[in-house]
Amino acid sequence: MNGKKEHYTDMFQWAMLVLNGIAVAFLCTFIYVTTNRIRANYDARDFLGRVMTIPDNPRTNLWLCLILFGLLMVNFVFRYFLQMRNSRGSAVSLIVEMLICVVIIYRLDFNYNGLLLLVFANVIAYVKDSKAKMAFLLLAIVGYLLADYELLSIYMPLFNMSDYVSYYTFTSQQWLFCIWNTMISLNIILFVGYCFSVINLQRGTIEEVNVLYHELQNANEQLSEYADMAEKMAQTNERNRLAREIHDTLGHSLTGIIAGLDACLALVDVAPQEVKKQLKLLADVSRDGMKDVRRSVSELRPDEMERLSLNASIRKMVTDMGRVSDTQIYFDGGGEKLEFGEDEENIIYRVIQESITNAVRHGHAGQIWVTLKRINGEVLLEVKDDGIGCKEVKSGFGTRHMKERIEMLGGTVAFDVQKGFKVTAHIPIRWGESYD
Amino acid sequence: MKALHNRKIIAAAVLLFLLLVAGGLYDAGTGPVVLEFGMFTGSNWNVANANSFLIIDEAIARFEAAHPGVKVHYYSGVPREEYSEWLSRKILAGEEPDVFMVLGSDFDQFSSIGIMKNLDELIGQDADFDAEKYFQSALNTGKYGDAQYALPYETVPTLMFVNQTLLTKEGIEIPDADWNWDEMYDICRRVTRDLDGDGILDQFGICNYDWLDAVYSNGGEIFQADGKTCYLAEDSVVEAVKYIRQLNELYQGQKVAQDDFNGGNVAFMPLTFAEYRTYKTYPYKIKRYANFKWDCITMPAGKAGGNVSQVDTLLMGISANTRKEELAWEFLKLLTYDEEIQTQIFSHSQGASVLRAVTQSAEMEAIVQAEMEEGETVISGKLLGKVIEEGYTAPQFKKYEQALALSDSEIGEILENDKTIDSNMKILQRTINSYLQQ
Repeated sequence: MNGKKEHYTDMFQWAMLVLNGIAVAFLCTFIYVTTNRIRANYDARDFLGRVMTIPDNPRTNLWLCLILFGLLMVNFVFRYFLQMRNSRGSAVSLIVEMLICVVIIYRLDFNYNGLLLLVFANVIAYVKDSKAKMAFLLLAIVGYLLADYELLSIYMPLFNMSDYVSYYTFTSQQWLFCIWNTMISLNIILFVGYCFSVINLQRGTIEEVNVLYHELQNANEQLSEYADMAEKMAQTNERNRLAREIHDTLGHSLTGIIAGLDACLALVDVAPQEVKKQLKLLADVSRDGMKDVRRSVSELRPDEMERLSLNASIRKMVTDMGRVSDTQIYFDGGGEKLEFGEDEENIIYRVIQESITNAVRHGHAGQIWVTLKRINGEVLLEVKDDGIGCKEVKSGFGTRHMKERIEMLGGTVAFDVQKGFKVTAHIPIRWGESYD
Repeated sequence: MKALHNRKIIAAAVLLFLLLVAGGLYDAGTGPVVLEFGMFTGSNWNVANANSFLIIDEAIARFEAAHPGVKVHYYSGVPREEYSEWLSRKILAGEEPDVFMVLGSDFDQFSSIGIMKNLDELIGQDADFDAEKYFQSALNTGKYGDAQYALPYETVPTLMFVNQTLLTKEGIEIPDADWNWDEMYDICRRVTRDLDGDGILDQFGICNYDWLDAVYSNGGEIFQADGKTCYLAEDSVVEAVKYIRQLNELYQGQKVAQDDFNGGNVAFMPLTFAEYRTYKTYPYKIKRYANFKWDCITMPAGKAGGNVSQVDTLLMGISANTRKEELAWEFLKLLTYDEEIQTQIFSHSQGASVLRAVTQSAEMEAIVQAEMEEGETVISGKLLGKVIEEGYTAPQFKKYEQALALSDSEIGEILENDKTIDSNMKILQRTINSYLQQ
């Protein structure tokens, strides 16, 4: 649809070019032919007595104007087919065109300045840079106002086409004026039509951009819905897996333990030896269950934690995060090597991960400092950033999760929203304790 | 990459265009330089002139010798009557000569439409050129507005022809050079007589003396210099017209014709210096005025003026579109400013030189004397110079010719039909003013 509109605009431009060519050729030829006629009729002296002035040499003028207009057309065609839009080439071409027009108008003693409308039209079409367009247009408008025959003939002697027309009989004069004025009007009409088509074209483009923008927005919304859905599905899957796991391991063991304990209750008075044996068996089952639980938990651990130590995992996460989010993240893991239980490691890891994610996503932080060290038998975990922070701590940022996790380890956590966002957690650690 | 490609194409196109232009210029630049000169055949002064080419030919020979590689070409065979149209046709086609003669009736028109080159710049640049060497009146005829558009080539003052035989017969002395209207009226009154007693006057005082002659000698002007208003109702003009009526009244309604003059029956008649020279020399001397002795004096002075008469000047100018400005100026200067060439005017033409030094020289008197019979007195260079210098030159503006023709016919009507001069001149002034201001 836009292609069709553009086609109309081009058509107007070509029509103006052709019409202006005809007008220039008509004027020059008319002056030349009339001059010859006056000379042939020996009316020259009489004619000179009636004019303001005459062109230097009508024949030279005719050729010069035709050649110049030819050059103008070549220039136009070059520009059109080479598609020199908004390049330096098109600027040069437009300046050349303007100069040619000025020379032709000057040679015709300002009897025809419609050529400037052609320049206007081309400036509108080719100059996209708004500053350059304004400069060109200003030049063309000033030119159009100044290149007015009636105005200039006050200041300088200019030959007048009407003087040449008045050499003919009254009827011929009427026809000549009719043809000439039609050409001038047609040129203006074409120019107005051209302007309309350009406006139309530009309006079309704006509408198209709007439509595309809406489509893009819809797609974005859909995409985020998909992402939410995918997250929920992952959560559901995880829950299902946990349920299965609990059912398969803990449920299995507990079922066995309950059954065994019931048997023990029945036997305890009858055969205490048997009970003892049975309890030993149940202890084994419980240990196996414990192993299963441990295995299940270890399956939930992050990949890094499987392979690396806590410090190394955190470092890796910090590096990865820094790389993907364009944020500087500094990690201070303290001097000594700290030993934690797996669940402690998991929680510390998750808290740090959540804090960094929050700092990047909500705080738009440029720098993040992570500190993890031992103070008075406790572990101090601190994550602070230089981001925008927030007015008050909202539980939506995953802070409730963090709090819950740390409380599970019997620790405390505090959030500070001045100067970015700061998470401070104190966690009592079961140093060296084990489940065994 | 594409932009580079485009740039190459544009550069090639520009180069091609420049080559074409250069080629055209080169083509135009080869071959001998030809300077075109436009002139008419015959005299500008309505007298026969067989030698009009002699001066020009000599000037061309000298010019070509001084400028090797330059040829001067002129169009021969254009009679004076056709010259204006011939030149106009050339001008219209943009093919006018580089240097050309311009008639007085064309000068203002051609200057106004920008065909004549403004010479002020060339004059200013030329250190050898001293405008003071020209008669001021002759130089002024080449001015349009405040600028010099043409230089004078040959000038012809109007003189008063005196029939010596008639005056001697009537016992009247030849008037002095500073005579006035009253003296002339007195002589005219005394000589106007019916000789054969048939009741019809057959001896007259003056013929062909018109109101313009009277206005000029009465210090009058007809038009303002810029051609916007006329002075027809001014005292100097009204007095002049009244003087003409006074003279006409002597003839009791009879018309004085050229034949009466040729027959030796008229005492005075204005005639040009060109006519003076033509009819003083063989063979024209025999054709006319053979049966009486005659001479020339100045015009009589009016109450408010001097012994002033109109001076006609043949002008030469340069085309505003010439490409050989320097050469054209040199050639124009040779024709109008060179004393040797200007002296030739007395040998081969009927006018007078426009240079003071030439016209007032003893050489000029010798040349003119040589063509005359012995015993004839030659007009002195001093007197001739005075007449030219003080001569009246008409202002130059576009409507001058038409406005003057209109005034002349209306005043002719006033005189013919005995209309009241004072009131009718006021009406005429208003009419002419409205024409001028159109």
